[in-house]
Amino acid sequence: MVNDLRELLRHNVASPPHDNLDLGAVLAGGRSRVRRRRRRLAALSGTALATAAIVVTGSLASLDARPPDFAAAGVPRPDAPMLRLADAVAAAEGTDYRVLTSYTNEDLDRDNGQYFEGVTDDGLILFRDGPRMDQSRPRFALMDPASGEKDWLPDHDIGQAQTWPLELGEDRLMLLAAEGGMKVELVVHVFDRERRQWGAMKWPSLPAVEDPFGAVLGPDQRLYVPVPATQGRPPKTGWPMGPDGEADDADAAGDTYRLWSASLTDISDVRNEGLTVGSVAFTDHSMVWTDSTNGDSGRVHVRDLETGEEHSFDPRSGEKCNLLSFGATDDRIVMGQYCGTYDGGVRDDRVQVLGTDGDQVVTLQASGIDGALTSDAGDGLVTVTSYESDGAGTYVYDLDSGRFLRITEDVSSWTTSGPTQEGQFLWNTPENMGRGMTQHLGELID
Amino acid sequence: MRDEAAFVEFAEAARGRLRRTAYLLCGDWEQASDHVQEGLIRVYVAWPRLTRAGREHGYARRAVVSAFLDHSRRRSSTEVPSEPDRNVPSGQDVAESVALRAALMSALADLPLRQRACVVLRYFDDLSVADTAAVLGCSEGTVKSQTSRALASLRSTFEGSPIGGLAIEGATPW
Repeated sequence: MVNDLRELLRHNVASPPHDNLDLGAVLAGGRSRVRRRRRRLAALSGTALATAAIVVTGSLASLDARPPDFAAAGVPRPDAPMLRLADAVAAAEGTDYRVLTSYTNEDLDRDNGQYFEGVTDDGLILFRDGPRMDQSRPRFALMDPASGEKDWLPDHDIGQAQTWPLELGEDRLMLLAAEGGMKVELVVHVFDRERRQWGAMKWPSLPAVEDPFGAVLGPDQRLYVPVPATQGRPPKTGWPMGPDGEADDADAAGDTYRLWSASLTDISDVRNEGLTVGSVAFTDHSMVWTDSTNGDSGRVHVRDLETGEEHSFDPRSGEKCNLLSFGATDDRIVMGQYCGTYDGGVRDDRVQVLGTDGDQVVTLQASGIDGALTSDAGDGLVTVTSYESDGAGTYVYDLDSGRFLRITEDVSSWTTSGPTQEGQFLWNTPENMGRGMTQHLGELID
Repeated sequence: MRDEAAFVEFAEAARGRLRRTAYLLCGDWEQASDHVQEGLIRVYVAWPRLTRAGREHGYARRAVVSAFLDHSRRRSSTEVPSEPDRNVPSGQDVAESVALRAALMSALADLPLRQRACVVLRYFDDLSVADTAAVLGCSEGTVKSQTSRALASLRSTFEGSPIGGLAIEGATPW
């Protein structure tokens, strides 16, 4: 007997089971992605911990080689002291910063690789390997940046889940993961470093969420989880077409969330905080949040965690700015924004730095950047990735000194991020015609 | 302006075929639906320029295949086909039909991802070598060599098995 391949293929799919595909979810996902596309660069940091293998979908070759003329394009100036990429000083290795260690993945197109996930409080790198073609789930090591030596942690069956570091302490490592499909339940995997044992925590009474992004660890050792409340809708007539031919969703209505929290010691201790928020960040002494996110941010609120006193202010972001990334230190609030596309396809991307009373510290304005607070240790560092062909590369802004350094002139298609120690930062550079990347851990030299 | 009604109409019409392609790639109907969902989201994002160029169907197929390849790269690994679908058409020997289905899905699952994609696109979606190359973002020569290797593997899997051999009509990969 002989079987025909074409016939077999068709026969095998002749009677598919019922399709549960929800086109409403497709539309919601598409709308959200359109908005994120505006911030696709910001997604690298806004969801910086999401993956070390987000592929940037744009083509750098298509970018104009000249720096954009913001005034000619009609881009409004921020209502704040302003920085341009050209204001950055080309950093010299050994003088402005030192490289603590590097690691190269030669070909991430061929297979998944190994990634720096962050730095522990005692200075070791959490190193993730996989999952790869011949290794179905990831394994983790603590890597000494000085020697490159890796201490592989015991195997822990987390399936193929993506993880995001919540805390990389001397005593324990806490990795956030999500289980489920369109709605996910949060899981925290905890590694006791002294006992060298893994455990996991789930909270049955914690509402499911759409994704794990936005969940943060508070200084009270509770996990704060934004649970979707309202989603900003596009205008009834649809988004207007921008000069680049794409729908321009600048000045979008933001999304809001109900804030819940969960104890990390008692899984029955889950509570609705009774607060509607957009983005949330914590410092050791304060909780900072916006009215909404992924659109207009609304006001910024600051609560003193010791006294309970609160104040709020208008951040005076641009009229069309969508909030894409959010972070805070005790003195500074950092907001990454997309604020529209103007003539000639010039984007108005911003990283706005504010004092905790709303004073305007500085706003970096450029076309084709993403930026976010990437280290909140000490005074904090802002890392900016630019895809402007004239100014492409990784930049670091030191919130303490105001130093603005251009670290590289290369942009990788992947991202590397995670919590670091004070003054440290992670970045990467392309390898092998963009198929791979080298990740670096560096620190500023005072 | 993004014409959502037109997108929904397109998605309704295309989802069934896309899901079948995705199923042959991944061997799991639920996962196939996930790939289609991801692919359609990508189509939504690109919708204004796709409709201007009339490329929505080709782009949708490419988006679903990319979603499958991305997922497989990211998550590892070789998907293990799920239990064969028991809901078989009437009028056939059920046991034989199930065995055939299982054999095909198992043989497909044993192929490297891109070889599998070549087979599905060439012999299920009936794409030309050039169109397959465009979907996979590789050269036509790569499609030919990958297809050729895939067919050889499939033939050797079926050869001598109780369910019979495998013929491929017009089986030159070019």
